[in-house]
Amino acid sequence: MGLLPHLVNGFALGLLFALIALGFMLILGLMEQINLAHGSLFALGAYFAYAIATPRVPMPPDALQAWAAVPLGWRFTAAMLLAPVLVAPFGVVLERLMRRTYGRDPLYGLLLTFGVAMVIEELIRMVWGTRDYTLAVPRGISGGFLMLDLIWSSYRFWAAGFAIVAMAIVWLVIERTRFGALVKAGAHDSEIVQALGHDLEQLRVWVFVLGTMMAAVAGVILAPVWGIRPHMGVDAVIPAFVIIVLGGVGSFWGAVLGGILVGMVVGLSGAYASEWSMLSMYLLLILVVTFRSRGLFGKKSVLEA
Amino acid sequence: MTKHRITRRGALKASLMTATLAGTASLFGPWKSNRVWAQGKKPIKLGLTCDASGQYGNSGQDDMRGMRMAIDEFNAKGGVLGRKIEWITADTETNPATGTRVAERFIAQEQCGFLLGAIHSGVANAITQVANKYGTIYMNTNSSAPSEAGENCSRIKFVWDGNGTNFSKAAVANAVQKIGKKWLLLTNDYVWGHTTAAATKAEVEKAGGQIVDNLLVPQNTRDFTAYLLKVQQIKPDVIAMAIGGDDIKALRQQIAELKLEDKAAWINNQQDWPDIWGVPETLFGVFGTNWYHKLALPGVPEFVKRWQATYPKSPIPVPGNVSYNGYMATRELLRAIEQTGSTNNIAIIKALEGRKMSAVDRMQTYDAYIDPITHQVQQTIYLARRNPKPADNTDLFEIISAATPEQAMDTASLAACKLKPYADVPTYEQ
Repeated sequence: MGLLPHLVNGFALGLLFALIALGFMLILGLMEQINLAHGSLFALGAYFAYAIATPRVPMPPDALQAWAAVPLGWRFTAAMLLAPVLVAPFGVVLERLMRRTYGRDPLYGLLLTFGVAMVIEELIRMVWGTRDYTLAVPRGISGGFLMLDLIWSSYRFWAAGFAIVAMAIVWLVIERTRFGALVKAGAHDSEIVQALGHDLEQLRVWVFVLGTMMAAVAGVILAPVWGIRPHMGVDAVIPAFVIIVLGGVGSFWGAVLGGILVGMVVGLSGAYASEWSMLSMYLLLILVVTFRSRGLFGKKSVLEA
Repeated sequence: MTKHRITRRGALKASLMTATLAGTASLFGPWKSNRVWAQGKKPIKLGLTCDASGQYGNSGQDDMRGMRMAIDEFNAKGGVLGRKIEWITADTETNPATGTRVAERFIAQEQCGFLLGAIHSGVANAITQVANKYGTIYMNTNSSAPSEAGENCSRIKFVWDGNGTNFSKAAVANAVQKIGKKWLLLTNDYVWGHTTAAATKAEVEKAGGQIVDNLLVPQNTRDFTAYLLKVQQIKPDVIAMAIGGDDIKALRQQIAELKLEDKAAWINNQQDWPDIWGVPETLFGVFGTNWYHKLALPGVPEFVKRWQATYPKSPIPVPGNVSYNGYMATRELLRAIEQTGSTNNIAIIKALEGRKMSAVDRMQTYDAYIDPITHQVQQTIYLARRNPKPADNTDLFEIISAATPEQAMDTASLAACKLKPYADVPTYEQ
């Protein structure tokens, strides 16, 4: 009964999931730290975007009115660019806190980031309250369009396209810049890299900042689709974790393919076995890991990405 | 082989074990203890089991506003029976397991005499099980699963909201005749969704319609694209939704974005005011409620003004059905205590069963009463749609009909509910 629309939907959803997993993958893959605060940083990005675009910032009333009069397209773009910048300092602080856990049992990093996640979520509740918000989307990319005789959401496809661009940029940074090469080498053998005179500490901060900003960008992009509420981070960090393990820890393409697979599975089950839609990604994970315990593209060393 | 002698030490040990076991066996219920705390002008303590987070976090807080207003009104008059009313609250997180823990703590440790609250029917049921053990009276203010008045009914629980069957009865028969016979159900995948969908199905089939599919929506679903694509593929005449809390807000938004609200008739079972406020532009279709702040009835404007004066900083500027139910439940409980002259739970249960509450007193169109068989409040059920000519920015509803309690009655629950005898309920007085 029309499988094609659901395949298309699943693929678009998958690209969005891959976008969410990207920041998580960066930090986990390049620094081998599990950042459970990823979800809260995702949420923070959405909230900051809401504050900038709507606008709801503590500014003098004239300035506020002037900003509100600016077309939504500009405000939305500003939110997209500024929100990650505002969330970045949280990444810096997080990295500093994480330093004590480097080289030790990964459980410490997990616990620390879990605690930070809860602190950030509570901060969000304190500042913005517990009610939910919506992020308005510029007219040009909102509304519906007709395809295959059905009405689709324009914004979703725009967001999926944006996700492709974001993934391309991240890939370029990791694979084609000196920065990416250094960080990968540092993750593999920190002693040699430091002996060659590179400031690994500084590099790690940058990776964290990049991962944090990716989480925030994902939050901004997903906010109009999923809505903004204090515990929205959970909707991001759990799929991100599943996708990374599914795709293989440390693999960029694993994260992309993992995201797309999760999206397809969730989208298809939503159409044909809807009560399984939330559970389906976990079943997929179990299936893949049973046959390939390292995930689809799991590699021994991060240098082989 | 040594002879196995029964030594005196062995016999003592065995009997001690048996005694301990026998003694502790009673810990596993059913309790039939009679507990009476010290008399005197002790305060009466209420436990408000309200969500502050999760799918119904917003509604939970609105529920509590109604309860607290009733408590404040009584305390301003000197409390009840000369005793001050105290209250405590904890976040039940829209999660039944949390509800169980909170209820247990409130009764066993915090010595609450009465529990009030719950929107999520799973949470309500969990709290009911705990309250049942101790005999604590529990006012379920806002749950709407027909099961809570049916198979999950309890001698100590009273249900204050209309349920899925009530709203279906008010809406469905008319819609099958006027709009079409091909119905699609969208159902939140938990007890309220299931039992409401079952009630809707029964009503649709009775009126000559047909359910072509029932799509289950897990709680906390954020993305409804797959469902909306299916809706467009199936092309039903009517889509009946039993989806609540944050989920219905997200769904309505996504439907409005695609302008699908004109493509079929959408019938929402009950819409809670907190789920509508904040995104009124996504309100569409026909839905039910048991109260509205602009009903042209005596007492309504005054009540609204009092509520606004009590909560000037509330995120929702006017009271809705959720707050109203919280207020009514608390008020009637306190009145019942006053009337009975004691906090003895059996006496209060008897005072509440069959209790008549006039339309004027309830600010509804028809008189209401607490059904002695199911302990559900049988009340007026309103159908509404989005107001095309709002008087102000809070005037979102246009009330299109009001069904009497008899017209909307949930007859299935009357048959399914079996209350246990008074003698089996542990008694207490606070």
